[in-house]
Amino acid sequence: MSTTVTEAGAPPARLPLSDVLARHRTALIGGLALVALLLGALLLGGGAWPARFSVDLSGPLGDASDWIIDNRDSHPLFLYFFGHVSNAVVLSVRAVYLVLLAAGWAGVTAGAGLVAWRLAGLRPALTAVAAFGVCGLLGMWVPTMQTLALMVVAVAASVLLGLVLGLAAGLSDRVHRALRPVLDTMQVLPAFAYLLPVVLVFGIGVPAAVLATVVYAAPPMARLTALGLRGADAGVLEAAASLGATGRQRLLTARLPLARKELLLGVNQSIMMALSMAVIASVIGAGGLGDRVYQALASVDVGAALAAGVPVVLLAVVLDRVTAAAGARIGAAPARGTGLGWAAAAAGTVAAALVGRSAGRLSWPDAWTVDVAAFVNRAVDWMTAHLYSGVPVIGGTADWAARFTTWVLDPVRDGLRWLPWWTVLLLVAVLALLVGTWRTAATAVLAMVAIGVLGVWDPALDTLSQVLAAVAVTLVAGVATGVAAGRSSRLERLLRPVLDVFQTMPQFVYLIPVVALFGVGRAPAVAAAVVYALPAVVRITTQGMRAVDPVVMESSRSLGATARQQLWRVQLPLARPALLLAVNQGVVLVLAVVIIGGLVGGGALGYEVVFGLAQGDLATGLVAGAAIVCLGLMLDRVTQPAGKEHHDA
Amino acid sequence: MRRRTIAAATAFGLLALTGCGAADMTKQSSPYADAHGARTVTLSVQSWVGAQANAAVARYLLEHELGYRVDTVQIDEVPAWDALSQGRVDAILEDWGHPEQEQRYVEDKKTIVPGGELGVTGHIGWFVPKYFADAHPDVTDWKHLNAYADRLRTAESGGKGQLLDGSPSYVTNDKALVKNLDLDYQVVFSGSEAAQITQIKQFAKEKKPFLTYWYKPQWLFEQVPMTEVKLPAYEEGCDADPEKVACAYPHTPLRKFLNARFADRGGRAAAFLKHFRWTTRAQNEVALMIADQKLSPEEAAERWVRKNGPIWRAWLPK
Amino acid sequence: MNTEPPAPSEPPVSEPPVFSVRELWKVFGPKAGRVPSDPALAALGPAELRERTGCTAAVREVSFDVRRGEVFVVMGLSGSGKSTLVRCLTRLIEPTSGAIAIDGEDVLSMDAARLRRLRRHRAAMVFQHFGLLPHRSVLDNVAYGLEIQGVPRAERRARAAEFVAKVGLEGMEHRRPAQLSGGQQQRVGLARALAVDPEVLLFDEPFSALDPLIRRDMQEEVVRLHGEEGRTMVFITHDLGEALKLGDRIALMRDGRIVQLGTPEEIVGAPADDYVRDFVRDVPREQVMTVRSAMRPATAAETDHGPALAPGATVHEAIEAVVRSGGTARVVEHGRCLGVVGHADLLGVVAGLAPREEAA
Repeated sequence: MSTTVTEAGAPPARLPLSDVLARHRTALIGGLALVALLLGALLLGGGAWPARFSVDLSGPLGDASDWIIDNRDSHPLFLYFFGHVSNAVVLSVRAVYLVLLAAGWAGVTAGAGLVAWRLAGLRPALTAVAAFGVCGLLGMWVPTMQTLALMVVAVAASVLLGLVLGLAAGLSDRVHRALRPVLDTMQVLPAFAYLLPVVLVFGIGVPAAVLATVVYAAPPMARLTALGLRGADAGVLEAAASLGATGRQRLLTARLPLARKELLLGVNQSIMMALSMAVIASVIGAGGLGDRVYQALASVDVGAALAAGVPVVLLAVVLDRVTAAAGARIGAAPARGTGLGWAAAAAGTVAAALVGRSAGRLSWPDAWTVDVAAFVNRAVDWMTAHLYSGVPVIGGTADWAARFTTWVLDPVRDGLRWLPWWTVLLLVAVLALLVGTWRTAATAVLAMVAIGVLGVWDPALDTLSQVLAAVAVTLVAGVATGVAAGRSSRLERLLRPVLDVFQTMPQFVYLIPVVALFGVGRAPAVAAAVVYALPAVVRITTQGMRAVDPVVMESSRSLGATARQQLWRVQLPLARPALLLAVNQGVVLVLAVVIIGGLVGGGALGYEVVFGLAQGDLATGLVAGAAIVCLGLMLDRVTQPAGKEHHDA
Repeated sequence: MRRRTIAAATAFGLLALTGCGAADMTKQSSPYADAHGARTVTLSVQSWVGAQANAAVARYLLEHELGYRVDTVQIDEVPAWDALSQGRVDAILEDWGHPEQEQRYVEDKKTIVPGGELGVTGHIGWFVPKYFADAHPDVTDWKHLNAYADRLRTAESGGKGQLLDGSPSYVTNDKALVKNLDLDYQVVFSGSEAAQITQIKQFAKEKKPFLTYWYKPQWLFEQVPMTEVKLPAYEEGCDADPEKVACAYPHTPLRKFLNARFADRGGRAAAFLKHFRWTTRAQNEVALMIADQKLSPEEAAERWVRKNGPIWRAWLPK
Repeated sequence: MNTEPPAPSEPPVSEPPVFSVRELWKVFGPKAGRVPSDPALAALGPAELRERTGCTAAVREVSFDVRRGEVFVVMGLSGSGKSTLVRCLTRLIEPTSGAIAIDGEDVLSMDAARLRRLRRHRAAMVFQHFGLLPHRSVLDNVAYGLEIQGVPRAERRARAAEFVAKVGLEGMEHRRPAQLSGGQQQRVGLARALAVDPEVLLFDEPFSALDPLIRRDMQEEVVRLHGEEGRTMVFITHDLGEALKLGDRIALMRDGRIVQLGTPEEIVGAPADDYVRDFVRDVPREQVMTVRSAMRPATAAETDHGPALAPGATVHEAIEAVVRSGGTARVVEHGRCLGVVGHADLLGVVAGLAPREEAA
């Protein structure tokens, strides 16, 4: 676009008043907060959220739940809408599953390898073949295929739905404005919170699991599609228009292809989200690998849980590598002989499948499996036996957990509860104002008010204290590790696979070791959250450190700065945006596993969601879920620097 | 104009695809079922190992003796009732008593029918480890519990003694009990049975005292011997008002429930599941193989079946 | 200041001009439509207008004709409205008021389909930042305009290959734009515009993003193409040298208005106001001015002696001739001597003294 237009679009000069306001922002916020504090002390007094401001939703929610159960097999809404949806899901999952079974392990492995080779090259192809081999070796072939079938359908539906939403939001400003807050909210919504309503409508089973997965995995696709369409090079679009392209031509030949990187990243994200959900959805009968993990959890068998969890990690790594490599490849090389390559891949797959079939080896041979469970269990037993207590000097993990609970978790929780309810709101408002804008502050405060109104003020503050403690630990450990990895490539290379594994490992797998080390209570909940959130924080910090302009580093060296001075004076300040992002991501991720924390004695909101799910109690579960979402919104807004576009996890 | 045509065509296509008619999703089975063309039975397996033992043996016999294919689904108890009502699962083999659900599904909707008793009697109670009870015999009476609150303190329970509770899916009156019996204890919910078992094992390894909500039959007793703490005796109806409970938990004969349609048309499989009835000892034997020796449920079932022919042959339909 | 629209005072041509623009306005901002119609607002300067209405007038009351076969240059600094103006011609930016005709046909009243036909077949544009599709090969980029027209694949690729060759990119058909240099990319942009065989080519600062040497190559390419095909071109630039080199006529814009419209010689030789004068001050005048404007009536003695020059010869060429001959040179057209130039006349042009005044 010409410079003329840009200039024309510039806002009118700032009024002097807003200048003054901007300059004395901090002082102004402080002053207002002081006034509010005095007023509040005079008018509102202390104590927790007053009961007269809360609404009891258990009646209406209970009624709604009863209505659904009573009408599920008779009401037209269920017969003619949800029924068909459910039917379609069952049919498609079944179709994919039968195809996978018919292809046999040889066909599936060969097919995966060849597709990866076409899309991403030789290395990812070998990874794919090895990954499927390991799935078979672990004796998890059939569950892996079940999960894969569910994933294929769920990801296809998510991508389709996300694409439609993203197209709408990318092309229409009004839809974009309407959709953005929804997508923002979805992003902080923990996976567990979706399960209860979905299971109520669709009942236990694959349809509910697929739909919960779709609801979870579609938002990143929608968000990235819209982002890609909106970010398309205006010059190219103008060129297309200048050649007389119709709206549709412009969309199909220019806009969508220009957004292909974002689209592919969207697919990648959808796959990752779907995979993490596939395990969680085992709670509502998704079957497959998740179910194996969940059943192993019930018999306190870490080894078996790990054997079922490893295929999940492998699937995640393969799918991630392949889609990422395919994304990086786009536009790099001229595509030639594509048709031929794909034909070869298809022929190879069919050939492998036929060979497998004629050899009578459709399912993975039992003789080829390796039992890792016993070994893993011994290792875990040894670890917990030696670390749990009585370690000289530093004390055992149990002692740490006890001290952490007594000296960190208890004071924070009691402190939060001691604060009069309105000062909590005030605190949130001031924090949000200091880092963000008036708008983010309003959202944050409203979210806290909603928690009060829902009548879960006390458990929410308990959860909040756990989240704060976990975030603090995550940040200290994560930033330190990230800084170290940012300065040493070797450490980064060493860390990378570890981070990959922890990020994709189903959380159910490490629940038992966490309890074995830290006992039941809030400490293991915090530990589980730290394990889950740490990889992202480390990664973002490392990237931030790496992204510091080498010229600046060189010039500081030329001035004779020591390594230490460089770190504190140059790298860390320049990596500030990345560090802020790390804080924000840490908060969101920690909150995402609060419910998992409920499974190891974390109590509070997490326990209530688990309770709601276990007892089919919509009132408890949904209210607690909503409160977690509100907490998430509040924390996200409070940690989101002003003027920054919402990032895409 | 064109857009409208497309929309109409899409709508029509969708209708044609789904067959225009009603689709009762309560009558849809699992997509993984029946993959090899066999008749399929879906069993609900609750998260505890006793239930896994039931399902493993039933599954083994259904598959090897009656030629069925069996799917198992692990779901919590209340949702399992819902799934049973919908036909997503065909049978629950071990139910600890859910009067509300029984009223709704068995009495009102008639989508579930009772399948007789499992032969095992369940009991919930408060337990302390045997080594602690042996050293301090008076701890097994609730009246003396307060004297030990100090020794049962943990970081999580704050200044009070800790009463360890389990999975949120379990029936529990413990909060009310603690309050009504005026005990200096704090109920700590471990959130899942796995967490609770892990914690108990850790305590046992250290020979630390603890007080926990637990239930019988349970294989963990074989590993960590525990003694029950006597609560005020159970009387019929003393637990009617959940707020005012001040008595022990009852002894519950565990029962089986079948989906009504399955019970009707399930043929030999339904008949077999109705006859399935064993003992606490037998269940524990299988459970222990699964949980303690880490055998897969299939192997455990196979071992038990090989030794106990006379017992299970009686379950097979004539 | 010469605010009068430069009336098309040239002798009437038999066929209508390619583009005929009359009193065109483009105003950005809230309720932009009121600005052109309200004389009080229309008379305001840019700063006042923005303060009073929040609007910016990118193009103000502009009128001009583009004749068939000419290179019409619109020149101005950034922010002068020239890019907006060229986009108004095919309504990539919708004008606020005024009239635009192409071959006598009203552009502003066209419906979407006819406007698309105009863009597809009659006017093609070359952009400053190329606007190439990064995911397509050079060949498919050049064929893109034809694809939009619905030309079958084989045919459009054949035609595209022809134009790839024409702009000198043979052998690079299968590269991606990212694998080309800036100059090569702009050749692709040029080929893409040429491939649809438009009646008029619109260039929006096409060479501003290129290195100086490559820029010169590209300018020569345009001169060559124009010489070969005689296609009408509208050329936007902020580079006066480029304007003088390429333009048959130049419209000089400032704050959305055309301050002067004329041949390069008229602009350099007779700046309409101080702004233009300031603008052209550093121009090497001998390269632009012709002897026609430098000559004086010949004395009887001079009519027969000295080398002969055409009236269109530049002062630069005349200096060479005069220096070589040692005396004056004659300006001869159709065998008739129009006048002579000597040292003093030529130096006067180079020094920027108004030669006409002297001659008058």
